[in-house]
Amino acid sequence: MNRLERTIGAVLRAGVIASSLALAVGLLLQFMNAPGAQVLLHAGILTLLATPVARVIVSIVGYIRVRDWTFSTLTAIVLLELLASAVAALVFNKRL
Amino acid sequence: MPIVTPALAAIIFAAGAVSGGFGALLGIGGGVLLVPFLNLGLHLPFPVAAAISLTTVIATSSSVSAARAGKQLINMRLGMLLEVATAAGSLFGGVTAQMLAQSTVQKVFGVVTAMVAIIMLTRLQRRNVILDPDIDPGPLGGRYHEEESGGMVTYRVKRLPLALAASFVAGNMSSLLGIGGGFIKVPVLNAWCGIPVRAAAATSAFMIGVTATAGAVIYYGTGQLVPALAASAVLGVQLGSWGGMRFGQRASAMWLKLLMAVVLFVVSAVMFTRGIR
Repeated sequence: MNRLERTIGAVLRAGVIASSLALAVGLLLQFMNAPGAQVLLHAGILTLLATPVARVIVSIVGYIRVRDWTFSTLTAIVLLELLASAVAALVFNKRL
Repeated sequence: MPIVTPALAAIIFAAGAVSGGFGALLGIGGGVLLVPFLNLGLHLPFPVAAAISLTTVIATSSSVSAARAGKQLINMRLGMLLEVATAAGSLFGGVTAQMLAQSTVQKVFGVVTAMVAIIMLTRLQRRNVILDPDIDPGPLGGRYHEEESGGMVTYRVKRLPLALAASFVAGNMSSLLGIGGGFIKVPVLNAWCGIPVRAAAATSAFMIGVTATAGAVIYYGTGQLVPALAASAVLGVQLGSWGGMRFGQRASAMWLKLLMAVVLFVVSAVMFTRGIR
């Protein structure tokens, strides 16, 4: 399982670096009234939110690979719960 | 929605740095400090404050766990099992947050921060219990190398239903109040479920990223997550927790915990009275 742990570490690190960069540049652009600020800020937030989701998906794949059906199922349930909160977000989004 | 000025962003960045620093020093999330500052100090609506704080929880969880992955301290199997409960609790809390009045949530926050303070006071001198190194860790237990003692620590997980229940409550509080929820899980996992405090804290920190995401997604959908303010807070918290971990290792945090408990009691009282009015 050490391989899965290392992959998870890499996914988390990449997510944090990418989102922090996007948020920092987006914030600077916003205060310079430059175009693209909002796009970068939203991209940064979405990358931040996607990082734990990606970590869960990587875990599902890792557990399937070693045929650990119990943990494949458990992590799949966590992914479904995250999807359910995305559905709840859409329901609450009055702009739709 | 608040108007995002450079001054407001700078204040939130600084607040993030302070709460992230204290969070790293004390091993609690900075959310219990950041949320009241944003809500009471800057007069942001409670859900806006909670959403900003949740994004900092995700960032902290991801960066701390990235650094620790592969070092055995995080019990990933246990974490992923308990996440089933925290994510469900968080989903439920995020939906409830849309239905409760701000005053109700403030009262809950007041009660919860008082609990954090009490837990902190009762655990001032907490040390690891000596564990038998030859026990079988079982399917959920773990084994890690402890730097202070230089030995291997092996543990079994006991009372799993209790751990799941605590995780559900922690998830619930997380998305409702904009905090990580580690202060609920870590004492329960440590005191009743047989998990050494360092492993419990690392596993909890690993889990709260997923927990907070289930809540933050809902706030994002409702438009209560303001990206520019969240960006300021996330960058501030990362700077603060980096500083806290770098300079705080040698500090015997006891007086700091006492100070923090006093601050939390004050925060609790102010938040609670604000909720009553």
